[in-house]
Amino acid sequence: MRAMTQPLLQLRDLHKHFRLPAAPFAPKPVLKAVDGVDLDLMKGETLGLVGESGCGKSTLARTVIRLHEPTSGSIVFDGQEVGKAPEGLLGNFRRRVQMIFQDPYASLNPRMSVGDLIAEPLEIAGIGTAAERRKKVAGLLDRVGLPSDSAQRFAHEFSGGQRQRIGIARAIALEPDLVICDEPISALDVSVQAQVVNMLEDLQADLGLTYLFITHDLSMVRHISDRIGVMYLGKIVELATSADLYHRPSHPYTRALLSAIPVPDPEAARAAEPMQGEIPSPIDIPSGCRFRTRCPLAVELCAKVEPQLTDIGGGHLAACHFAGELAQQANGVRAPL
Amino acid sequence: MSEPILSVRDLTTSFFTRRGEVQAVRGVSFDVHEGEMLGLVGESGSGKSITCMSVLRLLKAGGTIKAGSATFEGTDILSLDEDALSDLRGNRIGVIFQDPMTSLNPTLTVGEQVMEAVRRHRKASAAEARARAVELFELVRIPSAAKRLDSYPHEFSGGMRQRVMIAMALACDPKLLIADEPTTALDVTIQRQILALLKDLQRRLGMSVILITHDLGVIAEVTDRVLVLYGGLVMETAPVRELFARPAHPYTVGLLGAVPDLRDDTHKRLTPIPGSPPNMLAPPPGCPFAPRCVHAMSQCMAALPPLFGAAHQSRCWLQHPEAPKVDAVHEVAA
Repeated sequence: MRAMTQPLLQLRDLHKHFRLPAAPFAPKPVLKAVDGVDLDLMKGETLGLVGESGCGKSTLARTVIRLHEPTSGSIVFDGQEVGKAPEGLLGNFRRRVQMIFQDPYASLNPRMSVGDLIAEPLEIAGIGTAAERRKKVAGLLDRVGLPSDSAQRFAHEFSGGQRQRIGIARAIALEPDLVICDEPISALDVSVQAQVVNMLEDLQADLGLTYLFITHDLSMVRHISDRIGVMYLGKIVELATSADLYHRPSHPYTRALLSAIPVPDPEAARAAEPMQGEIPSPIDIPSGCRFRTRCPLAVELCAKVEPQLTDIGGGHLAACHFAGELAQQANGVRAPL
Repeated sequence: MSEPILSVRDLTTSFFTRRGEVQAVRGVSFDVHEGEMLGLVGESGSGKSITCMSVLRLLKAGGTIKAGSATFEGTDILSLDEDALSDLRGNRIGVIFQDPMTSLNPTLTVGEQVMEAVRRHRKASAAEARARAVELFELVRIPSAAKRLDSYPHEFSGGMRQRVMIAMALACDPKLLIADEPTTALDVTIQRQILALLKDLQRRLGMSVILITHDLGVIAEVTDRVLVLYGGLVMETAPVRELFARPAHPYTVGLLGAVPDLRDDTHKRLTPIPGSPPNMLAPPPGCPFAPRCVHAMSQCMAALPPLFGAAHQSRCWLQHPEAPKVDAVHEVAA
């Protein structure tokens, strides 16, 4: 585990709701994408955030860097409230928090040379002269393992994995403290994913970066993260160190997710029954526990009382009325499909 | 094992583009036996989808089958005329694609689309077709089947749309189902539901399935036998347990090493495969994997290796009797 002294980022009761267009004479429906998230991100750690599509993980990331304005709640970065600060006062925050996007095809301007793309953040921040920036770009290209002549070329000349390296070079150009990685490897081929993940790990070790790593790939998140948060319908339902989460999953949703991952080993024991049902709409979140409509353990209490994220021992948090009992059971047995 | 229901031999498909000839499939051969699920695994550009689109004769503009044969139930698909082909597709061979969002017509109810699939190949009254559609929805476990027939695709979730696609593909009891990345666009819990459904249908209907995927986890979960494709060629083929227990091609070994093991607590560093896949405009003359292979020898650059072995085959010079022995790469039996 890496050094964890103080939180670099603190989220408290963070909400991001979207008002959708209404039918005539009807109230506007509200989509609760992020619906009350508390999270401490420690300096130097990698916190993985997992969940299915529509769980709010990407909206959370975008709200943290103020691409979306939070509906309510606070975002404290390195001791300063940035959730409500006007854009003009965000300069320093904007430099210290960077993002790597999922799609290396859509996130790079096809009309700019790679050198200009990587120099752009430096230019916006007003760092160095043009010559100094060129030198810095050369260093960054080397850092992410791209040939030095890449600066004059354009993004379309590169493969998916190389484009993601360009995206990473852009993100680290300003020497940030926090990098938010939103599905950075999902669009890449398996053989290339490992290259990018190893590079992200090296960069973290060398530059002391803190990562908020968002993905739906549970094997990869387990590999790269110190701690993992599991999101469901806008809330974190379980949060633990990655080993603890895997060995003692204490929320029925985490258990279902873990048992659904296809394991590349035909001899592995597998979950007997796939979880039934699908994720409900974030416009119409179930009462009480939001997972109860798909939960095999749900009882009457679950519809009435929303379970709070509670410490079940050793900093392992889970939001389930039965978390204590689940934690006692070993990870579920898997049977062949 | 019985006579194969599909037999593909030396299939060669190219795309002619402005930049030149993209050699997507370069002599692929395989058999599909009755009731088996064959997995085709490979990365983007490996030729796995194009192989199946060639067999179905559904290539996009510019795509040409240059050579080879594909014999299905005794007839060569590649020599059929359009009419005979339409009788085959959707009737004897069903297909499902990756993206259930774009494969359905948004202006028709799902019921109309399933009924159309039924009546395209069978003489059936509207009432009979509707009854068959209800039956199919029940088969793919769409709850309240009769009611959901009148819904439009946008009223369905991604997982439910994929079930509709599977129902359409099964409309005429096909002998063979080709599923091209059927779960790639779905969430992991929904993926598991769909894989369980496909496996169950294969067993209950005695149907053969070709499952195309990039995910070795999916391969391990549901397939019986596997072809590993790379650079438009079959690199390795084996029964699924054999492939994972004794991988015999450095590419397969590399793929298995590049994915993290969920059960591993040691935080072992991943072993990536260096470099990137070959440019199929000008594939290398030797083994297409040689430039990325840690075991590559001069022979690998010079000549394309044949497939060594029988039930378990590997296209690698390391399998040659005179080749040096390498620890990680298992030997195949002649």
